[in-house]
Amino acid sequence: MIQINQISKSYKGVQVLNVEQLSIPKGQSFGLVGNNGAGKTTLFSLLLDLIQPTTGHITNNNIAVHESEEWKPFTSSFIDESFLIGYLTPEEYFYFIGDLRNQSKAEVDALLAEFEDFFHGEILNQKKYLRDLSKGNQKKAGIVAALIGNPEVIILDEPFANLDPTTQIRLKKILKDLSQQKGVSVLVSSHDLLHVTDVCERIVVIDKGEVVKDLATNEATLKELEAYFER
Amino acid sequence: MTKTFLSLEWKKFFRSAAFTKGMVIKILMIIGALYFGGIAIVLGVFSFKILQKAVPDVDPLITVNQFLMYWVLGELAFRFFMHQLPVMNIKPLMVLPIKRNKVIQFLLNKTIFSFFNLIALFFFIPFSAVLLYKGYPPFQVLGWLLSLGSIVLCLNFVNFIINKNNTYFYIIVSIAALSIALNKYDVISFTSISESIFYSLYQTPYLVVIPLLLAYFLYKFNFNMVAKQFYLDGIIRKKVKQVETKDLSFIDQLGDIAPFLKNDVRMVWRNKRPKQVLLTGFFFVFYGLFFFTFDMYKDNYFFTAFASIFITGGFLLTFGQYVPSWDSEYYKLMMSQNIPYYQYLKSKWSLMVVGVVIAYILSIPYIYFGLETFAMISAAALFNLGLNSFITLYGGALNRVPVELNTKANAFGNTQGFNATQLLISIPKMLGPYVIFIVPYYFLGFKAGVIALALSGIIGLVFMKYFLKFIEKTYQKGKYKTIAAFAEK
Repeated sequence: MIQINQISKSYKGVQVLNVEQLSIPKGQSFGLVGNNGAGKTTLFSLLLDLIQPTTGHITNNNIAVHESEEWKPFTSSFIDESFLIGYLTPEEYFYFIGDLRNQSKAEVDALLAEFEDFFHGEILNQKKYLRDLSKGNQKKAGIVAALIGNPEVIILDEPFANLDPTTQIRLKKILKDLSQQKGVSVLVSSHDLLHVTDVCERIVVIDKGEVVKDLATNEATLKELEAYFER
Repeated sequence: MTKTFLSLEWKKFFRSAAFTKGMVIKILMIIGALYFGGIAIVLGVFSFKILQKAVPDVDPLITVNQFLMYWVLGELAFRFFMHQLPVMNIKPLMVLPIKRNKVIQFLLNKTIFSFFNLIALFFFIPFSAVLLYKGYPPFQVLGWLLSLGSIVLCLNFVNFIINKNNTYFYIIVSIAALSIALNKYDVISFTSISESIFYSLYQTPYLVVIPLLLAYFLYKFNFNMVAKQFYLDGIIRKKVKQVETKDLSFIDQLGDIAPFLKNDVRMVWRNKRPKQVLLTGFFFVFYGLFFFTFDMYKDNYFFTAFASIFITGGFLLTFGQYVPSWDSEYYKLMMSQNIPYYQYLKSKWSLMVVGVVIAYILSIPYIYFGLETFAMISAAALFNLGLNSFITLYGGALNRVPVELNTKANAFGNTQGFNATQLLISIPKMLGPYVIFIVPYYFLGFKAGVIALALSGIIGLVFMKYFLKFIEKTYQKGKYKTIAAFAEK
């Protein structure tokens, strides 16, 4: 589904990312781990064509992301709060995203109904703007908005951070279902090794912009990751 | 401790995003400050002479005193928008071992030295100096000056108390408008009320204790107000407003631009900064009064054309120059979502058109100044719709300055979006209509000039698609730059 070829990114001569070759097949749940500044967000921003690569290119379903915008209809993402429109209520925001992805109001409502548990009664009908919600609740709204319109690729940066334990557990189930049952390619980054080994069938570790480990998840993976980061 | 605070302030100023942006802006800011300061000083020096000429039989000091009440009201209204108590800055200081009183004192003392206070003194001090030079009794003049200085401080502190609530603003503006009207039609003479209040401060210099005490009490009041709410959930907290959801489904009929237009309407309605722009646009409708009532401007087509552009274009110009900056807070979303630029732009353009149409309807009373004037306003409105809108949108595409939607702009906030490109872009916006008008006027007369101006707008409308496509290309070309610029706050 996603092909990363010779991609690198430098700022003023300092290289922050350099990935030779990485391919993510359709329906894979892909986890990206690394310390602060390792280049996780840079890689995701490149996938979404939010920054320009210094060298190389990325294709999403055989579409070069920096040449065409055709990847947008089947790709969705939530990177940070700058993906939320602060002055809208969550409902208005969901319908807006629905409009952009050609979903009727009824279709959006049907999707939201599935996430009643996940919202825990704190998102819908609160008569609050998104900017006035707590960080955790903002994240919930952003993640669910990224699921609107049956995307084939979902990119989430640190989806577990700021969420309460109950929501973390629910989110893990949602993400697993998406890749296993609906064949969606789910790309998440995380600092939490336990969560990411729970959710992802493949885990890539990057350090200082380079891929240092590429693991198929099994029982030993968590131990291996912990051993790696305990340096 | 004060020294530490001062060094923090110094760093805050010189390291602020606006200041580090580049030399051009720094220079422009300094020029701006010098300009306004200079005007105040020059006015202060020459007012005496000017007033002596304008109102020959009356002591210029009395004439000044007659208008001081309007100054008080005007300044209050002006400060209401521009000047806010910077309480947010104290949040990081709350948990540090610093006495609470010290922090509040510094916060309040700092406001005493704000530009708003200085600008009034820039006028009054040279004016008083001229009075002394002309041989007015020094003791009385100094008393009067001190009183006015205290009144400036009173205004400073009153503003912080009232500017949390918009009702006060409407009350102030209504009082000002009403008093001007009543005065003009000789119902109640507010000028003589003003005179008796302020002139007595001159005649009886001891009265200075009243404004001084008032300033002191207002300071204390502010102090207590801040002290009482010196908690995270007090004055520092952003007020969470109940949402007002209006049914905007009627917009859905407009087809593919509807989702964007709905958002834009909500954006304007629910955020402080765009609301300010809306109000500016409304005030610009009255801009013509300034030009059409003075004889020196009345028959000068340069000024009539200039004023006409602003009457209907106030909202268009102020709103349009910040497209796409209005969406800067969530620009990454817009760029990774399934969004056609064309519809996005068309939605913004439609909103500007609505602004022009509403302003045009409001401008109908200008017929009072003659059909010629109104014909000019109408032609300028068409120019705004068909050409200015696209020029402004193009300028906006090159702007790339992030806008904080829910924070009011401060006095120098507008320099943010100001750079050489903006300056260049503003030339056709301001001078274009005059040039288009004056050439046919010179050869064929007034009617031809107006028709040419109107026609230029209509031609622009015909080529709407072409213009929007062109701006779209500018967006695409600058995409990464814009995203990066909006990401830094």
